[in-house]
Amino acid sequence: MPVPITIEKLTKRFGAKTVLRDIDVQIAAGEIFFLLGPSGCGKTTLLRAVAGLNDPDEGRILAGDRDVTHLPPHQRDMGMVFQSYALWPHMSLRENVAFGLEMRGIGKADIQARVMRALEMVRLADRADSKPNELSGGQQQRVALARALVIEPQCLLLDEPLSNLDAKLRLEMRTEIRRICKEAGLTAIYVTHDQKEALSIADRLAVLDQGRLLQIGSPQEVYTRPGSRFVAQFIGETTFVEGRVLGWRDGRAEIETAAGIWTAQTAGGLEAGETVWLSVRPEAVQLHTDRADGPNVFNAALHATIYLGEVAQHAVELGGDISLKALETRPRLVARDDARAETRLYVDPADVQVLKA
Amino acid sequence: MRKSTAWFVFGAVTALLSVLFFWPLGTVISGGFWVNGKFTLRYLIGVFENPIYVEGLFNSLKIALGTTLLAMVVALPLAWIANQFEFRGKAAFSALVLVPMILPPFVGAIGFQQMFGAYGMINALFGLGARDWLGGGQYAGVVLLQTLSLYPILYLNAVAALANIDPAMEEAAANLGCTRLRRFFRITLPLMMPGLFAGGTLIFIWSFTELGTPLIMNYTRCASVQIYDSLKEIGSNPFPYALVTVMLAASVGLYAVSRRLFGGRAYAMQSKASTQSAVRTLSGWRGLLAALPFALVTGLALLPHLGVVLTSFAAPGSWYQSVLPQTFTGGNYIEALGHDMTVSSIRNSLLFSSLAVAFDIVVGIAIAFVVVRSKIRLRGVLDALSMIPLAVPGLVMAFGFLAVSSWLSNLKGFADADWWPRLVDVRTNPTLFLVLAYSVRRLPYMVRSAVAGLQQTSVTFEEAAWNLGASPAKTLRRITLPLIMANLIAGTLLTFAFSMLEVSDSLMLAQQADYMPITKAIFELFQLLGTGKYVAAALGVWAMAFLTATLVGSSLLLGKKLGAVFRV
Repeated sequence: MPVPITIEKLTKRFGAKTVLRDIDVQIAAGEIFFLLGPSGCGKTTLLRAVAGLNDPDEGRILAGDRDVTHLPPHQRDMGMVFQSYALWPHMSLRENVAFGLEMRGIGKADIQARVMRALEMVRLADRADSKPNELSGGQQQRVALARALVIEPQCLLLDEPLSNLDAKLRLEMRTEIRRICKEAGLTAIYVTHDQKEALSIADRLAVLDQGRLLQIGSPQEVYTRPGSRFVAQFIGETTFVEGRVLGWRDGRAEIETAAGIWTAQTAGGLEAGETVWLSVRPEAVQLHTDRADGPNVFNAALHATIYLGEVAQHAVELGGDISLKALETRPRLVARDDARAETRLYVDPADVQVLKA
Repeated sequence: MRKSTAWFVFGAVTALLSVLFFWPLGTVISGGFWVNGKFTLRYLIGVFENPIYVEGLFNSLKIALGTTLLAMVVALPLAWIANQFEFRGKAAFSALVLVPMILPPFVGAIGFQQMFGAYGMINALFGLGARDWLGGGQYAGVVLLQTLSLYPILYLNAVAALANIDPAMEEAAANLGCTRLRRFFRITLPLMMPGLFAGGTLIFIWSFTELGTPLIMNYTRCASVQIYDSLKEIGSNPFPYALVTVMLAASVGLYAVSRRLFGGRAYAMQSKASTQSAVRTLSGWRGLLAALPFALVTGLALLPHLGVVLTSFAAPGSWYQSVLPQTFTGGNYIEALGHDMTVSSIRNSLLFSSLAVAFDIVVGIAIAFVVVRSKIRLRGVLDALSMIPLAVPGLVMAFGFLAVSSWLSNLKGFADADWWPRLVDVRTNPTLFLVLAYSVRRLPYMVRSAVAGLQQTSVTFEEAAWNLGASPAKTLRRITLPLIMANLIAGTLLTFAFSMLEVSDSLMLAQQADYMPITKAIFELFQLLGTGKYVAAALGVWAMAFLTATLVGSSLLLGKKLGAVFRV
């Protein structure tokens, strides 16, 4: 049965280095929760602490009402999919998948039936007697998933499960994993450094950096309302522009930058004179605008373009040595090398994020 | 692995090794310095003042240096050719160069004398009269025999070191315009230095203290034989203790220096080899040219074995001033099997070796687990501790065990008990000490095999089992042990083979005919007048056949990793 997972004030040190600091997370039963961050941020350490594969120095981990913080891994009932899959090479798929059921003392006939059902679910029933090394990477990944799911765990843990697959397979498996988790109603904790994976599968996600939890929220919240410069540039692309607050009223702020005055919609209270950063996503920059003068309309010069077919990413120079990234669908203008093309651009104040310095 | 379990294993193994290892060594060292309850340097100084001991030490050093250098000259080109080229029969040739390991060099010495002695095959073949090709002092013979039996260790080390080098290293040099031969000296050789010196140190220490070969070759003016000859006075004369201490200090010193210089610097390859090494296939006469050194070395290395086999089939006295024995007979084998000493020696060797192997399996796996799977700080110490027996000469250990036995059998309160001498006095029953000596000195092979197995086996396999609800004990049985089984079998075979072949401990500790292992029996038979040499050869052939089987088995199981076992 899926249970909620609660992580309270979790701290983990390796020697003198603190790899997790005071992590607080509440994951609801049946939720797909992502831990996202660059390598070395502590996300895998956190996952392994939940699995019982390392011992936290401070804090608690609850599975439902049960405190599992210092319980040995084999008593936790949390199926894990390892990054390397960790399929035992000396056992067939059938034996691999049956292992966890055997450990639970389940009868032979029952095991047989449940193993086959699990293998059917990942569409590998016909390969039940193959050895893991006879399978492709994607197939191995699915066996690892079946092995973790067949025990009907309280919680499913996934450690970068798609990182060893090629790009096309990764896309397929994204929907597949979400489908399987939702069908089984599982609580799942999923570790990745791939923001696309997180945005596309997660119910909610947490961004970590250097052992600290920076932000928790739904994919949309975290993408459109990043809480810090780190989150803004780790999830998606963005350009930062430094500025000074001229005034703030009714959720609208005027900010003076080297390229002129910007207007931004923001709920947070700002004081005049405060130094802030504006975050502008490339897709928010509307090129070739017909707008006359008004807020956030600027003259600009395209001066370098990365042409990608359906889109082009331009570097757009405003005044004052400020350059924005701008995404154009169905690109019309392409500036190569030193060629410059003059244009006018507009950014909706709702698309400008104000981040405190 | 839980910390508490790791510490428990660490404590138990350290205590065990202290008793089995440091006690005998301590007895040796103190025996030369504490005489009649007082500390004295008299005997240590005395060793260096006695021209006979000084000459013995000097000659032992000469043997060790000669053997090590010659082994390098033989092994290095072979390893390089095997690494760089592909040619017809390469697999067979690279297996054949390992064959010399199946025979202790002192048994080969019997055959060697038949061929190169004054009245041997070579002189008869070329009509050269009674010239002794082994040189008056027998020095050349000892060095050659030891080289021919020890170079495989270096070859295995070199091949392993070469296999470990990412071919991209060499490809980068080639890309920058470096020729194949220069690449070897500029890139490959520096990168393989750690492995090479690991093997070289081992050979140096083994040949420095080798006892059997000089004994059979009658090269008596070397330290090991002098120590052997003084065993009768072990209770009364401090000089042998001081001499053994000097040899120990020299060996450990060399080990420490070479480990410091070369061992700690093993270059970590940034990537696992992403491409197959740039092996060039040689066909036609080029292929033959590449195979030639292998054929030459193998042929030369098999001469002693051939001599032993021929001797074993020669009617006693019929191989004298002739190319081949004049009368062939199977009688030596019948006589060997009929001899009391032979039958009991086979039984004894099997028993001692099996017990030693059982001991090593349990202790070796425990050590390997702590070393690889635990995070306790002192695990490096445990690793080093379990490797020291490789660096300490067998002769020294045997001497130490003898001294401990001699001390124990005079222990007050026990000495009068009927069962006590049967347990601890090697003059009555050496079983306990032989088994302990065999197992302590072979422990490193077991530890290395198990460590290699665990290192190759990702810990996530075990984590996955815990995660699915298997207890640590169940995980060990169902997942870990099956995954490292090939390594364990290989380690077991090596441990067993080298216990069966053991020379120093066997010669020194087994003094009762009823309890002699095979090697000691061969030595004793050899000394019998008349048929002794031929019967000894027959027993030697039996041992060869047995060891061939075990070594072939372990090299099949371990493949290229066999080299990693012979590394300090």
